[in-house]
Amino acid sequence: MSLRVGVDIGGTFTDMLVTDESGDARLYKAPTTPDDPSIGLMEALERAARDRDVSLDAFLGEVEAIVHGTTITTNAVLTGEGAVTGFVTTKGFRDVLNMRRGLKARQFEKYAPPPPLIPRHRIHVVEERVTVDGEVMTPLAEDDVRTAARLLADQGVEAVAVSYLWSFLDPTHERRTGEILQEELPDVYVSLSTEVLPQIRVYERHSTTALNAYVGPVLRRYLVRLREELAGRGFGGTLLIMQSNGGVMSPELAQRFASHTLLSGPAGGPLAGVFYGATHGLANAITIDMGGTSFDVSLVAGGTPTVTTEGEIGGHRIASPVLDIHTIGAGGGSIAWVDSGGLLAVGPKSAGADPGPACYGRGGTQPTVTDADLLLGYLDPAFFHGGELTLDVEAAKTAVGGIAQALALDETEAAAGIYRVVNANMAAALSVVSIQRGHDPREFVLVVAGGAGPIHAAEIARELEIPLILIPRESSVFCAVGMLISDLKHDYVRTYARDLDKVDLTEIDSLYREMADDARATLREEGVPDDRIETDYAVDLRYVGQFNEVEVPAQSGGEVTAEALDAMVSTFHARHDTLYGYSMPGAPVELINLRVSAHGVTDKPQFSTVEAGGGDPSAAKRGERRAYFDGEFVEVPVYDALRLANGNVVAGPAIVDQPTTTIVVPPGFELVCDHYNNFLMHPEGRDLAELRTQLVPEDARLVAAERS
Amino acid sequence: MARTTEVDRILVSVIGNRFDAISKEIGQTMLRTSRSPIFSEARDFVTAIFDREVRLVAQTAYIPILMGAQPYAMRSIAQHFGDDVDEGDVFILNDPYRGNNHPPDVTVVKPVFWEGELLFWSMSRGHHADVGGGGVAGYNPGARSVWEECVRIPPAKLYVRGEPNQALWDVILINVHLPFLVEGDLHCQVGACNIGERSLRDLIAKYGKETLYAALEQMFDASEAQMRAVIRDVPNGVYTGERYIDHDGIDKDRMVGVRVELTVEDESITFDYSESDPQAAGYVNSTIGNTTSGSFLALFTSIGSEVRFNEGALRALDVIAPPGTVANAAEPAPVTANTIDAAQAIIEAVWLALAQAVPDRVDAAWARWCAPATMGFNPRTGRPFGDIHFMAKGGAGASQGLDGWDHLGTIVCSGGLRSPDPELHELVDPYTVLQYEYWPDSAGAGEWRGGMGTTYRFRVDAPGIPAAHFGGGNRQATAPFGLEGGLAAPHHVLALRKAGGEVIEVDTESFYNLDVGDVYELQVSGGGGYGDPRRRPVEKVQQDVRDGLVSPEAAESLYGVVVDPVTFEVDAAATRGLRG
Repeated sequence: MSLRVGVDIGGTFTDMLVTDESGDARLYKAPTTPDDPSIGLMEALERAARDRDVSLDAFLGEVEAIVHGTTITTNAVLTGEGAVTGFVTTKGFRDVLNMRRGLKARQFEKYAPPPPLIPRHRIHVVEERVTVDGEVMTPLAEDDVRTAARLLADQGVEAVAVSYLWSFLDPTHERRTGEILQEELPDVYVSLSTEVLPQIRVYERHSTTALNAYVGPVLRRYLVRLREELAGRGFGGTLLIMQSNGGVMSPELAQRFASHTLLSGPAGGPLAGVFYGATHGLANAITIDMGGTSFDVSLVAGGTPTVTTEGEIGGHRIASPVLDIHTIGAGGGSIAWVDSGGLLAVGPKSAGADPGPACYGRGGTQPTVTDADLLLGYLDPAFFHGGELTLDVEAAKTAVGGIAQALALDETEAAAGIYRVVNANMAAALSVVSIQRGHDPREFVLVVAGGAGPIHAAEIARELEIPLILIPRESSVFCAVGMLISDLKHDYVRTYARDLDKVDLTEIDSLYREMADDARATLREEGVPDDRIETDYAVDLRYVGQFNEVEVPAQSGGEVTAEALDAMVSTFHARHDTLYGYSMPGAPVELINLRVSAHGVTDKPQFSTVEAGGGDPSAAKRGERRAYFDGEFVEVPVYDALRLANGNVVAGPAIVDQPTTTIVVPPGFELVCDHYNNFLMHPEGRDLAELRTQLVPEDARLVAAERS
Repeated sequence: MARTTEVDRILVSVIGNRFDAISKEIGQTMLRTSRSPIFSEARDFVTAIFDREVRLVAQTAYIPILMGAQPYAMRSIAQHFGDDVDEGDVFILNDPYRGNNHPPDVTVVKPVFWEGELLFWSMSRGHHADVGGGGVAGYNPGARSVWEECVRIPPAKLYVRGEPNQALWDVILINVHLPFLVEGDLHCQVGACNIGERSLRDLIAKYGKETLYAALEQMFDASEAQMRAVIRDVPNGVYTGERYIDHDGIDKDRMVGVRVELTVEDESITFDYSESDPQAAGYVNSTIGNTTSGSFLALFTSIGSEVRFNEGALRALDVIAPPGTVANAAEPAPVTANTIDAAQAIIEAVWLALAQAVPDRVDAAWARWCAPATMGFNPRTGRPFGDIHFMAKGGAGASQGLDGWDHLGTIVCSGGLRSPDPELHELVDPYTVLQYEYWPDSAGAGEWRGGMGTTYRFRVDAPGIPAAHFGGGNRQATAPFGLEGGLAAPHHVLALRKAGGEVIEVDTESFYNLDVGDVYELQVSGGGGYGDPRRRPVEKVQQDVRDGLVSPEAAESLYGVVVDPVTFEVDAAATRGLRG
């Protein structure tokens, strides 16, 4: 039997999902070991092997693929513990990297800027210059490179990034610099911007390349060790690493393009949205993940998660494509406070996991969202995280009491206020990824990951009139499922800046072909057969004179004809109108970037379905609890999520306890257990079949075009 | 007054956040779709929502000097048109004597109707690449009246019931040098207002006007309470500050004085500019909108950073600026440089006054803006262009406990001015950037050092380009001051190296002609220092020397730290000797 394993290394737990060909899927957990995450990973594998009564070696011998999501690079950046890195750039431009385009995010506050990834004394300049036309204005001074290499050696660098002006037009200088550095510094990790991101915009290219070098050695060390360990225990399958763009890649590639993993932590979320949506034939989904300190939202349209090139980590830009995950500071640990004008605010400050909410009894005294959820009766103080923690109601009361006093409300009203404000903040975050980008949330299913999400989901959905909510039975599976369904994916970009009436179709063709050939070669190296390779083409267009582009698919595939170009321009006008409230048909349009995104399609795990039972949920009822709905406490039934069976219907108001979280079913909603034993929630009286017609799978891009 | 409906405090928070989000959404549209690099690369614009009584509900100020001036423009339009406001209308204004702050910032605003009733206004204001007149990108240092600065647009309808007022478009576009940029950016502003309208209508549909208006009253009261609470923490008193504008472009030997008397009384503040110099002959004069804006900005960047900026916050503040002074010039004085020159002097003067009361809340001065606007034809692209050289950004001032931020730009932008991308800049404009990096020793020394200034040099690749150099800080009297024993930063150093070998010392508020092969050189100062430089930790000074930001000579003479220029070792004994 061949097994597939998805591993998601979270802050606290390493979650592992193991699936087989029969559709059996089992979840294992082990504590995360931050110093060396592979220990926790191996422990989870041990647990999976024990569960099957086989040795680890025997178990691993049957594993065909391990898909691994790692936050080791992310943590390195956030804690400033990446490699000692140097930077080599064009003379005269030493500080473009650290200027970070001269912006301060919170303009009126006094605070220190994010520390530079690479301090100025490790940034070395080299005489060389390519012009806007791609011509060499100043030849590369190889002596400068050698001098820089010697200084970098003295500085003890483990990695060097190289990024020159206009290098994507003529990569010769960068390549030669790379050769010299490899000669002089054979053990040092070298990243060239022309390999990492050959695309216009200096700071964005610098920063992406610098990040790649900064985390490259960290990931390389980790992967080398992990692969040795796995191989030593009989693993002969494929190890795949999760990327920020929602695809996976081989460890060899991951070591070269380590920066592609930086935002991969939440990338399983949108993919899980694709998967869970598909279980009901739905191609449009909004996924939410409410953790302790933050709330992640993403949107899947037409079965495809949305992608952005505006990623950021620790104040540093990543301009390579990443899944578009919008994050705000709203989580269970978010602190509620009353501002100097007497208005209630929630977040973005968080009590985090330590000390955590007041009710954790670990010394936290500030009122948090979790404290409010507890006082409102949504959480069971005796059964939090499956009984791992007993919540201190008195501590929550005291904490929320402070807020209540300032607002002249009682504790319950204040708690309800916190609940409402945080719900509204989260709903606003959903509107950023949907309404503001031209999508109507009423056409989407809301897929809710674990954490505190299911406590708040119904109210968020109500705010945006989202008609259907889907909550996986075991929310920890969420990201791991996303990983198991992901394809190998590689993105390529070439800047080709021309007025549309001056483009040379054969040049476009050859650039596309070059990227597609690269893509195929890479995927073949990763073992993907040709018939499993899919290639998407796109262009970045803008009105002449604009400074930002709109990405438009090249519908004809790689071969670009004049007609195909016209079609892209029409799509561009329509998309511009939807996004920005106007378009200018007839105004000149220019092309900036050509993009290719190549997938190596992987086998998707199958999950087994369950027989339908009756609608009566009473077998799963485990008691009653007083909870706050519509302005008063009422006695509501409490159900055990794990005992609810396919077809069971729970009418609100009710509470469904899951092992690690709670689903709140408010009055006016009902919850149904589906054929995968996941939960659907929707307004009472709505019929699932009817909802499905509202949520019919559709290509959001086409929808946008029609609407304009 | 609005009919009062009972709204709970929680809903006020929810609705308040929603208004802020809509204002941001309008801004995102501006950011992503504008043509002029001044809008889209540098983010020189502001967005706002007003209610039916023309009160400021919410705003997003990337460039905050535009923020306090918006109510004047909005009131001017609303008063001018009275009942003559219909669904689908879009209004425009740029005249500084009809409520606008200065001519290049064109105000576009759209009324938002619900069931036939005007409920809100959705506004965008942005700095256009060109507004006609005899200047460059609107900057005319030789102007002696507003007519020489721009095509004046009084409050007018750009759209009438959804249809473009073509005659007005034609008049505007025929009067500007860069109609292609101006037309695109006006569309961008209208689009942004449409986006605001769409979201405001959703909000009205959801909550109903009674609830929204009841919530608004409470929002205003809450902001007022915030502002008053902040002011309560400032000791009562009368504080004065004085700063100078380099000169007005006409009389280049005379600095122009801005003087403020700041009266803090319990929970309110009055800014009185009566003692300022009479209005100038040249274009550095302020308008009342701009003076108000500068005053508020000085507060928001010091004591009021947490205050939610709306009508309520303004109730605690009063600005007195007699007509005929440089703080409130009388028609038809030229005014274009006011958002830079007058505003910088106003903010610095207010800070100096505030520093007497609450020195730990005020920054040392930030580097003043001082760079050229250029405009012309780029043979490489075959298109005209217009741009302001935003890469020439100086450093921010230091404050208690914090070094200044590097390369952040003038205080009127407060860190919101995004530096352009050198490659996109070369793609559009006929220049080759030769140098763009920190200028060593450009920051004011202090226990907390000023942020680094910038060296920016570019070569000109097209003939016959006029440049209007504008801004201040070009002499030591106007360079960024230090606070609490921190030192001033040096003034800027500017030169134009002509292709023929001549070197021209560049003054501010002046025109220059650029030709192929000329090299324009700007060394823009860093920010002022805070606290005695001899108290700066030795390791930090050593680090600055190692990073090449502070020279070994400056480390020794200003900081009293002796650092070896090769090994970067600190000579502890010598340092002790200097520091005592």
